[in-house]
Parts: sequence; C-alpha cells; structure tokens
Amino acid sequence: MTDFLNFLVAGLSRGSMYALIALGYTLVYGVLQLINFAHSEVFMSGAFGSLIIINTVVGRGTHTLPWYGVVGVLLLGLLSGAITGAIVAWTLERVAYRPLRRRGAPKLAFLISAIGMSFFLSELAGKMFNRLNDNNFPLYFSPNRHILHLGGVYVTLPQLVPIVSALLMMVFLDRLVSKTKLGRSIRGVAEDAPTAALMGIDIDKTIARTFIIGGALGGAAGFLFGTAFTVSNTMGFIPGVKAFAAAVLGGIGNIRGAMLGGLTLGMIEAIVPTAPWGSNHAWIGIQWTDAVAFVVLVLVLMFRPTGLLGERLGRSA
Amino acid sequence: MNLLTSDHVKRLASCLVLGVVLALMVGPQEGNQSDFGYAFRSAVFHPRIIVFLLIGVAIFVANLFWSRIVPYLVRPGVRPFVAGAASVVASYALLNWTDNTNLNNGKLGTLAPLARTTHGLGSIARVFYGSAVPGLYWLMLIIALLLTGAALITRRTAFGWAGAAVATIAGVWGLLAHLEVNDFLGSPDHSTGAVVGLLGYLAVAGAAITAVRSEGEKADTGGFLERVFGFRVGLPLVVLGALGGVVSLFFATWFSPTNRNAGLGEMSKLFTGEPVSSLTTAYFGWLVWILFVLSLAASAAACWLRDTRIGWVATAVGAISLLITLSVMHDASGVAASQGFDGATTAWQNLGVGAWLMCAVFSMLTGAGAMVARQITGRSGAPASSDGTAVRSAAVSQAIIVLVLAFALFYPPTATSFWQTVLVTEIGTYVLLAVGLNVVVGWAGLLDLGFIAFYAIGSYTTAYLTGTLPIRPPHWLLLSPLLAIPFAVTICLLAGLALGAPTLRLRGDYLAIVTLGFGEIIRIIANNANSVTNGPKGAFGIPTPVIHIGPINLRWGQDPLQYWYLLLVFIGVVVLLFRRLEDSRLGRAWAAIREDEVAAQASGVNTTRVKLLAFAIGASTSGLAGVFFASQIGFINPDDFLLNNSILVVAYVVFGGMGSLPGAIAGAAVLTWMPEFLKDQVPAEDRQMWIGAVILLMMIFRPQGLIPARRRAAELHGLEGVSSAETTAVPRGGAM
Repeated sequence: MTDFLNFLVAGLSRGSMYALIALGYTLVYGVLQLINFAHSEVFMSGAFGSLIIINTVVGRGTHTLPWYGVVGVLLLGLLSGAITGAIVAWTLERVAYRPLRRRGAPKLAFLISAIGMSFFLSELAGKMFNRLNDNNFPLYFSPNRHILHLGGVYVTLPQLVPIVSALLMMVFLDRLVSKTKLGRSIRGVAEDAPTAALMGIDIDKTIARTFIIGGALGGAAGFLFGTAFTVSNTMGFIPGVKAFAAAVLGGIGNIRGAMLGGLTLGMIEAIVPTAPWGSNHAWIGIQWTDAVAFVVLVLVLMFRPTGLLGERLGRSA
Repeated sequence: MNLLTSDHVKRLASCLVLGVVLALMVGPQEGNQSDFGYAFRSAVFHPRIIVFLLIGVAIFVANLFWSRIVPYLVRPGVRPFVAGAASVVASYALLNWTDNTNLNNGKLGTLAPLARTTHGLGSIARVFYGSAVPGLYWLMLIIALLLTGAALITRRTAFGWAGAAVATIAGVWGLLAHLEVNDFLGSPDHSTGAVVGLLGYLAVAGAAITAVRSEGEKADTGGFLERVFGFRVGLPLVVLGALGGVVSLFFATWFSPTNRNAGLGEMSKLFTGEPVSSLTTAYFGWLVWILFVLSLAASAAACWLRDTRIGWVATAVGAISLLITLSVMHDASGVAASQGFDGATTAWQNLGVGAWLMCAVFSMLTGAGAMVARQITGRSGAPASSDGTAVRSAAVSQAIIVLVLAFALFYPPTATSFWQTVLVTEIGTYVLLAVGLNVVVGWAGLLDLGFIAFYAIGSYTTAYLTGTLPIRPPHWLLLSPLLAIPFAVTICLLAGLALGAPTLRLRGDYLAIVTLGFGEIIRIIANNANSVTNGPKGAFGIPTPVIHIGPINLRWGQDPLQYWYLLLVFIGVVVLLFRRLEDSRLGRAWAAIREDEVAAQASGVNTTRVKLLAFAIGASTSGLAGVFFASQIGFINPDDFLLNNSILVVAYVVFGGMGSLPGAIAGAAVLTWMPEFLKDQVPAEDRQMWIGAVILLMMIFRPQGLIPARRRAAELHGLEGVSSAETTAVPRGGAM
C-alpha cells in the first residue's frame, strides 16, 4: 500500500507538470484551433531561463540554505521560468504564427512553421547553453532531500513543489479565464472569432496574450521539470508530446480538461506499469510506460472521440 | 514620411534583434560549464556584431521603402539576376572546385592561392585565380553584377550588353580554368563549383539582355517560358542537347581511372590494341560523331517541321544511340578493368562526366523526338481550370520531366561515393516516403504523425522473412528481400487499415495524436519485445536484393549506385500509379473529404472507405520503402524509426507543397540534401538549427510550398475572399 502511495505521489507530481504544459497547448488550440508544436521549446526555454537566473543569483548551490531561502529560490525560479516562457511564446506568435495568419496560410503550414521554430529554438539553445555536461539546478533541489515522511510515504521537494504550484496556477488560470475581461475576450475569440471582432475584441492582441499566458505556465513547468530531472536543449520533446497527449485526452481546447488529462496521464504512467506495486516482478514493466500511456489515450479516444471532458474553451470555463 | 512613429521604432528594434540572432547563429559554440554566458558574450560583444546590426538596419530600410522597391523587383530580368548572382556567390564561397584530397576542402578560397603560385599551370587558370590581379574572379563578378544592375535600373542598352559580355566571359573563363586545373592535377573530379558558377553567370547574362530587350514593366516568366517552349515543341531540349553534346565531345572527360583524365580524343588511342569489340573501336573513332549529328539533326528537323513521322525516327535514332553508347561504356570500362588500366576497378566504374553527359544528351534528344511524335502541343492541353490559375502547358511539363529523368539517370554516376550514398539512404528513401505520405496528408487531408511506423513494419517484415530476427519464419517462407515486397506491402496495408479503422471517428488533431501514439507504440514494441525483434540491437545481416529469373541474374552488392537505380524504379512505379490516382474518382473523393467532410458525405462519398484507402495506400508505399531500406542497409534497429522522422516527413510534404506530387518529391529532396550540404559550411551540430530556420522562412514567405498543387494555389491566391476549412487561418469557433 505504501508503495502504491509512493507511486501515486510520483504520478501526481509528473501529472501536474504535464497539466501545466498541456494548458499551453489547450489555450492556443482554443483560440486558433492549431497545435502549437513549438510549445515544447517554450518549456525548454523556461528551464534554461530559470537555470541561468538562479545560477547567477545564488551560485551553484553547494552551500545549504535556510527554509525561507529555499522558498525564495523556488519563487525566483518559477517567476524567471514563467517570464522567459512568456517572452519566447510571444516571439513565437509574432514570428511563426502572425505572418502566416495574415497570408491566410493553410492549417498545416502553421504546424510546419511551428516545427521549424521548434528545431531552431532547440538547436540555438543547444548552441548557446547545452552540450555542457552539468546543467542541473543547485543541490538543495536534490531528490534525496525528503521533507515529508508520512507512514512510509516519502514526498521529496521536487515532487511536492510541482503539485502545489501547479494547483495554485490552475486555480489562478481558471479564475482568470472565467472572471476577468481578458478571460472573457479569450473565450470570445475561442467561441467565434469574427463575431468577437465585431464586438470590439482585438483578436491579434487576444491571441498574443493567450500565447503569453500559455508560455508563462509552460516556462514555470520547465523550471519544475528541471529541478526534478535535468536541463538540456532536447528536454522539451518528450514532455511536450506527453502534454499534447494529455491535452487531447482531457479534450483539447478545454482548460479543465487539460488539467484532468495531465493528472490522469501522469498517474497512469506512474501506476499502471509498476503494478503490483512493491514487487520485483511488475506485470507490465516500466519500459512499457510510454506504450501504456498511448494505449490508454487511444482507448479513451475510441469511446470518447473528443476527450474526457469534450472540447471548446468557450463553453468549459 | 514621419520616421519616429512608434511602429517604426518597434520595427527597427525587431530588425536589430534579428541581427543579434543572426550573430548568435554564426557565433561560437558554448564555452565551459561554469560560464553560461560565454557563447552569448563572445557573439554579441565582438566587433563583428556591427555587421549584423547593419544587416538588421538594411532590412529595416528595405522594409521602410518597400513600396518604392517593388516596382523594380517585378521588372523583367530581376529574378534571373538574383538567382544567378546567388548561384555564383554560392559557387565561389560554398561549393567545391576540385575533389583532390591534397587540396584541403577544394573550395575556391583554398584553391586560388595555391593555383596562382603553381608553376606549370596554364595561364588561363593562373590569371583567373588571381596571379595578375588578386581576386580577379570576385572582381569580375562585381563588375558583371554592377553592369547588369545598372542595366536593370536604367535600361540602357550599352549596360545590358556589357554586363552580359562580362558575365559570359567570367563564367566560361571559370570553367576553362577549372578544366585546366583538373588536367594539371590529373585526378578524377566530381566537383560542381565551376558548372554552377557558369550557370549562374549565364543567368546574369540573360537577365542583362532581358532588361534591355524587353518592353514591359512587369516580368512575365510564365509567359516567357510558354513562348519559348510553345514556339517549337521540344526545341529547347534539342538546343540543350546540342550544347551538352559539344561539351561532351570536345571538353569533358570520358574515362578517369586513378590518375588520368581521358577526353574523347584520347579514347581511341587508349583502347588501340586492347581486346575491345569492334563497335567500341568504331564508336571512339567516328561512330559517336555520326550518332550525335544524326540524332541531333533528326530531332531538330522533327521539332522544326512538327512532323510526327520524323519525330518517331528521331526517337528511334536517339534511343539506339543511347543503347550503343551504354554498351560501349560497359565494354570499354570492363576491358580497362580487366587490363588493369591505371587503377580501373570494374565495369561501369571510372567513367567520366563526358560519357554520362553523352547519355543524357541522347536521352534529351529522344525525349524531344518523342514529344513531337506524340503531338504534344504548346498550348495548354488540359482545359483551363475553372479557378482561373494558369495551367502549365504540357510542353513545359513534359520537357521538365525529360530533363529530370536525364538528370536522375545519368548524374549520380558522376557524383562522389559520399553523395551516392546520401542519394540512396537519405534522399531517395525519403522521397519515396514523402510520396506515400502525400496521399494521406496532402490529398486526403488526414494529419498522420506516425507514418514512420509503417516504414518500420515494412523493414521488420523484411527482416522476418529473410530470417534475421530471433523469431524465424517456417522454412518454406524464407525469401529474398525483393520477394518480400508483396508480403511487406500487404502487411503494411493491413496495418494501415488497423490504424485507420478505430480512428476514423476522430477529426484533425485527435487523429494526429493517435497516429503519433501508434508510431511510438510500434517503436516501443520493436525496442522491448526482445524475443521477437531482438530489442534495441535490432536485426542484422539482412541479405541484399537478388533477381534471378531465367537468364537474368542481377545481384546487388555494396555499390550505392545499384541501389539508386532500384530505388528509381520503385519511385517511378509509385509516381506513375499515384499520378493516375490523383485525378481518378478516388482522388477527387479525397479532395472532397479534405475540403469538407460533411458535404462530401452528403454528396454520396463513402467517407469511411475513402479514408481507409488513403491510409492503406500511404502505408503500403511506406512498407515498400521499408523493404528497400532494410535490404540496402543490411541492419535495422528501433532507433531508425524515431518520432522525429515522422514529423520530418510531414515537414517535407508541406515544405514541397501539400497535395502535389512534384512538390512532395522536391520537398523531400531539398530538405534531405540540405543537411549534407551544410556539413561543409557550418559546424555539424548547428545543421538542424539552419534547417529549422529555412523551414520557418519558407512557411512565412511561401506557405503554399515549393511547388504548390494547382488546387491549393487557387485556394491561396485565386479565390479571394472565399474561405474553406483549410484556408481559414483566423479561428472560427467550433468544429474545424
């Protein structure tokens, strides 16, 4: 049972990161009906941005920090990751999306321009920062620092932080989309762009802001992912694909769907391949993790072709 | 014009940022692991940054005065001028001018200082490389460009002719200098620099003449081509054939073993007294001239007189000449190998550019004759399309097909073995894949991000049937790779159906993620099912293809060239079949469901069946490519079938022009050629970055792709104001 709970916590942690990235996909899909294939690079840039800021501010972290220091560093990391992500996402919209929109390009051209941007950003980051052999965050994020120890269940800092911060950010986003003026204009564009334009909503501006919000969430997720694993220029690809799958699983274009999809996918990945938990002989085995995730996705889509909660940003929030 | 509006400031800022990004792109790699800022600082805080900022400013200024620049850009001659100048600059700066391994990378910059100080080298070459005036070749380029530019702007006749003269002299001089250097070195040469330079200069010369000769204010390239090709069908091919023949007969190398470059004149001397057939002796002595003149005369007469009968005669003469040339080449190279001429290896090897060029010339003349014989008219054969876009006339497209075929058949033997390998393992294989995916993505409009899975299935089926997997087929089912084709194609077809059937309810992006998942699942199975697929180690020792029917006994070995011709047959068959398919009932049904599935269904299209067929046909093409890949490379493992490759194939199709067969071929060819080309130009790690930038720029400035399909072009330009699901870029709510 405790083994199961351990896997569950790991799954929740991974799932909340997926959910944060998936929100970026789903927001953009909501307003543009396009998969933003370069979102994985927004995530990667967030990780690098926060890594550089943290390394500049607190050094390589060989010394220990008091608890408020750790909280401060965490906030700094989240903030810098979010800002970097937002800047990159905004640039992405200006460079790879807006010119094509002006030209009335076919849908797939957007996909390919995003893929081109993704290659470009990933390799430029590689040229600038990566191919170093130590891109890790300072030591106080070390996975071995347990901070909670509840009846055999270990919860480490890099596990807890994503869960808590993702939860906070999701609540924030949900309020933002459902209550504020910006949220109303996003929903308006998602529902019916030409009519929204007639109602006085600046479509270009709304789309740019949607990218910025999605980018900030993705960048923050990049920081969280970086603390749990490592930072590299190719780190975005796999989580990006998984988060895309999570967004589709929940119903792409649906904000609560993306959260649900992310958490579900993360938990399935952590729990299913390791069953029965605690034994040395798993029935499935972790080498099949990705296959399990995709099989579940296909099964869900076969029975609910628009995902768990259905699509439509406009209606959901 | 008020320069200080905030919009201008913003634009200037973004242009400067672009300059900085360019500086980062060409800047140094990252430094050490404790200093993240190294690469950034050494790229940005370096005097070189000024150049990049100036580039940014130049872009800003161009953007500012764009409306005044445009009238000049559409003038006749500007496009060939830009293309020609770019080719010459690329030839001077990027391409190799010699393959000799003693001369480093063989680029002009490395070659010139050596050549100008080498004694014994002819004066044509030494002066060209700058013994009298340093950097003469750059100087000639600048003068030619300045004169032609002046001609384009002022339209003075004197500038035009002077520019054309300088450009032609510079181009021909470069080629002669190149030939002289290679005669001096005496080693076989595969470099393309001089030829590309010459072609670029000829384009510049053409631009200069066009600028002063044409009347209109706007360039009409399409109309010009139509006039040239429509004047006498096939005549441009005859002219090209005549030029190529002259180069082959008088200048080019026919036979080049290790240390020798024999032209046609030396061939008869070289083979005197050797046990060659009397045909070969006669060919090198006089027959080749007779054949060339006869064939040229027949084709020219057929084209000029538009006489079908003479057309058939020209076709026959050209084809016979081609066959004779090929048999002579086989005989001569075989004898040379058996007599041990200066390191000659086997038959078909060591033949020079001249011999292959002669083959290309004969096939062009044959093609010209055939075009007349089949009464292809200069006017558009097809009825003008209802959407109002111009339909390229049959004469132009047939001529292009003949040229492409001649190039594909007879250029590869003259390339280096590196490029032959690239041609087979990268370009050719991915062209086949892109042609297959074009059915699914381009025609049926179904986004498939797991296409590489079928390629994997085809490869693993081949491995299974040839008995190289841990799980072995029953004894009677052990096959050679080519016999595995029907099985692999069938299995991929079934796999396509298996993927298609449960996912048909899904639309657009749901389909994308399911196909992506399918691709990953296949790869993970290949990676983890050790007892079936041998896991990450994969299958090795897959035998090479063999054909053994009666007297025919073909065996494929190590030479990439053999595989190239096999691949060419595959691509040819697939393209021919698909071309028929595009305008068939099925092809039109695909277009219908792509445009509007509901409307298609309402019009009686069985959408389920049609979509399944698209999946199945695309998948089986991929399976064919898989068989080829497995038997050519000999070993496969799951890493050959990554998700990234699936995404790249989609990128090739869209880059080339969605839904257009020539587009898919061109897109795959260009994007697979580019990394290998960039290898000599930028650090190897940066190649992906440049390719990403190229894809991005292409989509920004030409979203319809390299060679757009007729129907798509109409969507983007022909039907202003009419939007369909695909052309709607601004979101509409709800369903796509």
